[in-house]
Amino acid sequence: MSLDLSDALQTFFEEARGLLEDMESSLLSLEAEPDDAEVINAVFRAAHTIKGSAGLFGLNDIVAFTHKAENVLDRVRNGDVALNEGLIGLLLACRDHIAGLLDFAVDERTMDAGARSQGMALAAQLDLCLDDKKAGADADADSASARLPTTTEAQLQSAGGGPLTEDTWHISVRFGLDVLRGGMDPLSFLRYLGRLGEIVHLTTLADALPTAAAMEPEACYLGFEIRLQGDTSKAQIENVFEFVRDDCDLHILPPGSKLADFLGLIGALPEDNTRLGELLVACGALTAHELEETLAVQECEVGRETLVQPLGEILIQRQMVQPELVDAALSKQKDARSRQAQEAKFIRVHADKLDSLINLVGELVISGSGVGLMAKRNKDVALLESVSGMARLVEKIRDGAMHLRMVEIGETFNRFRRVVRDVSKEIGKDIELIIEGENTELDKTVVEKIGDPLTHLMRNAMDHGIESAELRASRGKPVKGTLKLNAFHAAGGIVIEVSDDGGGLNRERILAKAREKGLIADNGADMPDGEVWKLIFEAGFSTAEQVSNLSGRGVGMDVVRSNIEALRGTVDIESHAGVGSTFRIRLPLTLAIINGFLMSVGDGHFVVPLDMVQECMELDPARNPQRDYLNLRGEVLPLLRLKDHYGIKERLRRKEQQGLNGRAARRQNVVVVNSAGRKAGLVVDELKGQFQAVIKPLGSIFTKVRGIAGSTILGSGEVALVLEVPALLSEAAQERVAPVAQV
Amino acid sequence: MAKTILIVDDSASIRQVVGLTLKSAGYEVIDAVDGKDALTKLDGRKINLVISDVNMPNMDGISFVKEMKTKPAYKFTPVIMLTTEGSEAKKRDGQAAGAKAWVVKPFQPAQMLDAVSKLILP
Amino acid sequence: MEIRSEQNNGRLSLFPEGDMTIYHAAELMPVLLDALKQSDRIELDLSKVCELDTSGVQLLMLMKREAVAAGKSLKLSGHSAAVLEVFELLGLGGWFGDPQLLPAGVLGLGGSAI
Repeated sequence: MSLDLSDALQTFFEEARGLLEDMESSLLSLEAEPDDAEVINAVFRAAHTIKGSAGLFGLNDIVAFTHKAENVLDRVRNGDVALNEGLIGLLLACRDHIAGLLDFAVDERTMDAGARSQGMALAAQLDLCLDDKKAGADADADSASARLPTTTEAQLQSAGGGPLTEDTWHISVRFGLDVLRGGMDPLSFLRYLGRLGEIVHLTTLADALPTAAAMEPEACYLGFEIRLQGDTSKAQIENVFEFVRDDCDLHILPPGSKLADFLGLIGALPEDNTRLGELLVACGALTAHELEETLAVQECEVGRETLVQPLGEILIQRQMVQPELVDAALSKQKDARSRQAQEAKFIRVHADKLDSLINLVGELVISGSGVGLMAKRNKDVALLESVSGMARLVEKIRDGAMHLRMVEIGETFNRFRRVVRDVSKEIGKDIELIIEGENTELDKTVVEKIGDPLTHLMRNAMDHGIESAELRASRGKPVKGTLKLNAFHAAGGIVIEVSDDGGGLNRERILAKAREKGLIADNGADMPDGEVWKLIFEAGFSTAEQVSNLSGRGVGMDVVRSNIEALRGTVDIESHAGVGSTFRIRLPLTLAIINGFLMSVGDGHFVVPLDMVQECMELDPARNPQRDYLNLRGEVLPLLRLKDHYGIKERLRRKEQQGLNGRAARRQNVVVVNSAGRKAGLVVDELKGQFQAVIKPLGSIFTKVRGIAGSTILGSGEVALVLEVPALLSEAAQERVAPVAQV
Repeated sequence: MAKTILIVDDSASIRQVVGLTLKSAGYEVIDAVDGKDALTKLDGRKINLVISDVNMPNMDGISFVKEMKTKPAYKFTPVIMLTTEGSEAKKRDGQAAGAKAWVVKPFQPAQMLDAVSKLILP
Repeated sequence: MEIRSEQNNGRLSLFPEGDMTIYHAAELMPVLLDALKQSDRIELDLSKVCELDTSGVQLLMLMKREAVAAGKSLKLSGHSAAVLEVFELLGLGGWFGDPQLLPAGVLGLGGSAI
């Protein structure tokens, strides 16, 4: 039987990763409260479940190692081993090791020498946690149990000295009264026995069946004498009756057993000897002659007690187990592990299915707007009404579909508790992590990709941002440094902030370094702070005088920038000497559908995210001639003429020359957009209002194009470009600056 | 008529693998994520065998088996407990509650099929 | 589990329908024993028995033994596939001494009950 377990294996990998994350967060919370029994149990359960599931897939390395950790956790759970900081650290390291083993399994590799020696070192430390005596006993148990139990093979040589000329086993079994009530049907065991070999003879014994008056219908009274022919072992036969071993009388005589063995059997069985003898003859175990001989021998030996040795080595050991009261404490665990409990409410869905659903919803939105357009064109009031009803529903479906892809950033944030803990220990700084906005939702793909850049920023802040304890004390700051992670929605995107209360960036040092590396031409004295800070994102830049093993190698910050830019995001730095720095990452939600504002320039249609549109106004040509800014209630608003910017002017002019309806003659409009506190006015021809845009990514040819996030198809079938406002704003600023510089 | 097996385990991968194994051997399989969920699956349908984990959220395996055994339709349903080596006490608790068979975790699919076959054939 | 009964020329025929398993053993036992009291000739039609387990087998064996002890006749007939399978496994055919209609291929294993 071969099963395709690959899907299940994927389930296991996901499940195990989730459990490892739980394990980590539980361990971290145990650092604060080491006595929380619920949390300790949660850690134990995580290890336990990983081990159990890994065994299913034959991932022996994971099973063996997790087993050791589980042992220690079990002792902790029982209060035999105290949970101190050192042990938590060790368990965290074990958790990491398991995660590493999991990676090997995912890649279908066997563990390398490094991992092996690491595992051995950790295992040795785990052993040390248990006191010596227990550890010794445990090591024995480990070697037996950590190994995956393989299907019984040659565990026991048959007691009778191996297969002889004949290979027929004799099995006598009498079932206990309670077997049926326990759900065990002797028939099932007999059927299963037939798999080990051929049942050449089976005799059913109803001798124990009481009178009608005394019989309990649900009790079991039957016994069986069985001749089984086959190449099997005593252990295998015993194993068939494993579940009723405590509840039955089982005797197994291997092939070629001596008459004396049968004599012993007869003595051990409940029925009277003569009847048993007949039985054995009837089922072919003995010949009539042998029986006579046997019984004769028995009579001779009656006086001697030595004979009635009950088949010493063959008899199955029976252990009477006294049932104990059920541990009532178990039921207390009920509501505590809420996250586990919630698993029941979640459905795991393949991301592809979600994507295709969202794609379909996108198409639905497009054809929905198509219908709406038609209704408007035909001025069909009734149709318009139902279209608007439908539009509302479609909108809800769209929101729902979008929501499916959204995940809270909290999980990503929580990972950093561990990072902060480890790093602060390593570099000897006391640092507290404050997390805010963990409920902020963003697209799953973004969440997945933001982890690495955040890690770099966090490490950088801890390494270089937060000062050493002495320095902090001398500056009159609290000795404990604070690191803050924050997330919130703003202007159609998400902002993630990493702030520290450290010394801030050192302008002079950055400039000196930049000059040394040749990153700036002049001495940079005139550069605004913001520009200076950005230098640290240049490749090969590192200001740390002391290179630490974490973040001082001069790689990282440039990677951070490129990673964020790959997500079409930006990163800004705000820093004040002695007060601290804030790294602010702005990311688009990069969702397939946005609420957009549609406008047109010439024949071109453009969409900007509605959240970024602050206001719209008419551009008065008299007051605002071809200038690149306008006065917005006393504020200078740079203007970006999309017509010029995208070279639409040319086509338009041609059209005008052809005498077509020239829209240039009409008044123009300004759409004031706002992003990251910067404003600009987009000069367009026509405002078309709110529009739900299904963003289709641009082909790979256009990946270099700045300022355009994608395209969308209008209900009329025309294509509109979705503008990337932050990029446009920086261009607007540059365009404004450029002419000045030339003058 | 194929025999129906109810598997109760909070681990999705265990449910999946055991389910796949048993289905491919010809059993019908239904599953539940914990004891509470499992009780809702006992809606009078015929269940020939129950496979249950012990340590589960909401309702553990032993409480579940006890509860199940109070229902006349499932009073004699055989139960395989998923136990851990070294947890003899749990095994005894399970047996007292009515779970007479057991499979020790970690197990391989073939071992589970083996244990099931001893109790019922498809 | 349902048991229909028919009285025919002094012969009582019982038609158990459904599972003869431990779930029904307690309700089945008095019905079967009662039948023994009612008539000297009893026929048990097993054609509608879907499932037979050890408890069912025990009841059949008990009934047969009680019948023989009381000098009455108990005839098992119409063995369903499920019944045949169990009788074959346990070698009970001869024990009850009733003719069984064995489907081809089932014959072979020589079990017996004493």
